Amino acid sequence: MSQDPKPPARSAEKVLSEEFFIARSKILDLAATLDRLERADGSLEALHQLKLLEQGMEILLDDQSDKAKRVQLLMSRPYDPDWRKNYGLH
Amino acid sequence: MDYIDPHIHMVSRTTDDYETLARMGCVAMSEPAFWAGFDRGSVESFRDYFRQLTEFEPKRAAQFGIKHYTWLCINAKEAENVSLSREVIAMIPEFLEASNVLGIGEIGLNKNTKNESTIFLEHVDLAARFNQQILIHTPHLEDKYQGTKMILDMLVSDARIERSRVLVDHVEEHTIQEVLDRGFWAGMTLYPITKCTPARAADMIERFGTERLMANSAGDWGPSKPTAIPDLIMELKRRGHSRELIRKVVYENPCEFFSQSKNFKAPIAPS
Ligand SMILES: [Zn+2]
Repeated sequence: MSQDPKPPARSAEKVLSEEFFIARSKILDLAATLDRLERADGSLEALHQLKLLEQGMEILLDDQSDKAKRVQLLMSRPYDPDWRKNYGLH
Repeated sequence: MDYIDPHIHMVSRTTDDYETLARMGCVAMSEPAFWAGFDRGSVESFRDYFRQLTEFEPKRAAQFGIKHYTWLCINAKEAENVSLSREVIAMIPEFLEASNVLGIGEIGLNKNTKNESTIFLEHVDLAARFNQQILIHTPHLEDKYQGTKMILDMLVSDARIERSRVLVDHVEEHTIQEVLDRGFWAGMTLYPITKCTPARAADMIERFGTERLMANSAGDWGPSKPTAIPDLIMELKRRGHSRELIRKVVYENPCEFFSQSKNFKAPIAPS
């Protein structure tokens, strides 16, 4: 017996008005983190983690959907379907 | 609202936490065996731990009217030690008749290594031989996607395993679909920082529906919140979801899944 998981009436306007201050504070946290990084000593150019954060932020701004999943995949090690053979496990 | 936490590590919580959970509506819980925060030195350590899970914790929970169930295994982190793992796996059947044992768990992968995979397969074999349900731990952070797919590969390769009797925990946006599409149950772990927030869990319920989906708090040694399920209930209510939908996720689904173990009895809870 499958139920409709959608809530009765939550329009885009309602979602936005309810979530705006939460999203705003998260953007500010992120902005302040980047400022903190900039103030710290040393060069950031080669840092793999910083690259990942930048690519993640690009996903937030592009015009595609499924953003949470795509950020997750960006931050994931790849899967090799032959892993079992490579490990010698049958 | 009455609810069941299907994955919570009460050995790491205080008696006060039991009382708080009872006040918030927790009527039953299941506690998978896991890492103790340090690697244990011998099989005797695990025997004592399994006594704690099958004798002591049920009594502590009962003081507050909560029914305590458990799952037994050597966790993925300590599974790196293959010889110790084999000793523990050989000892587990001593405890399978204990009245609160639901199955084998939480087995899984941690860093997706060969040793972890070897011991995972041996646990799956144990579950199949003793007709036990399975509760799965999927890895965290960058290892989750790869590890979840490896785990699903191993589960579907054993024809004895009924997918409807396996719960795959710690699913997130990039792993939930495949777990559900392949016929397994899925659990979302509500955990500060490294896992999923109540809002993201509510999003997944809205996207994937309520069939074979549950939520848990993990409530372990790390920064975690044993009252995370009431937080999810609040979030779903705030979004206007019906009482029936919420109850299905936090009460009826755990009952339906656990009822496949002979030891589970649904707590008496008015709807
Ligand atoms: Zn756990």
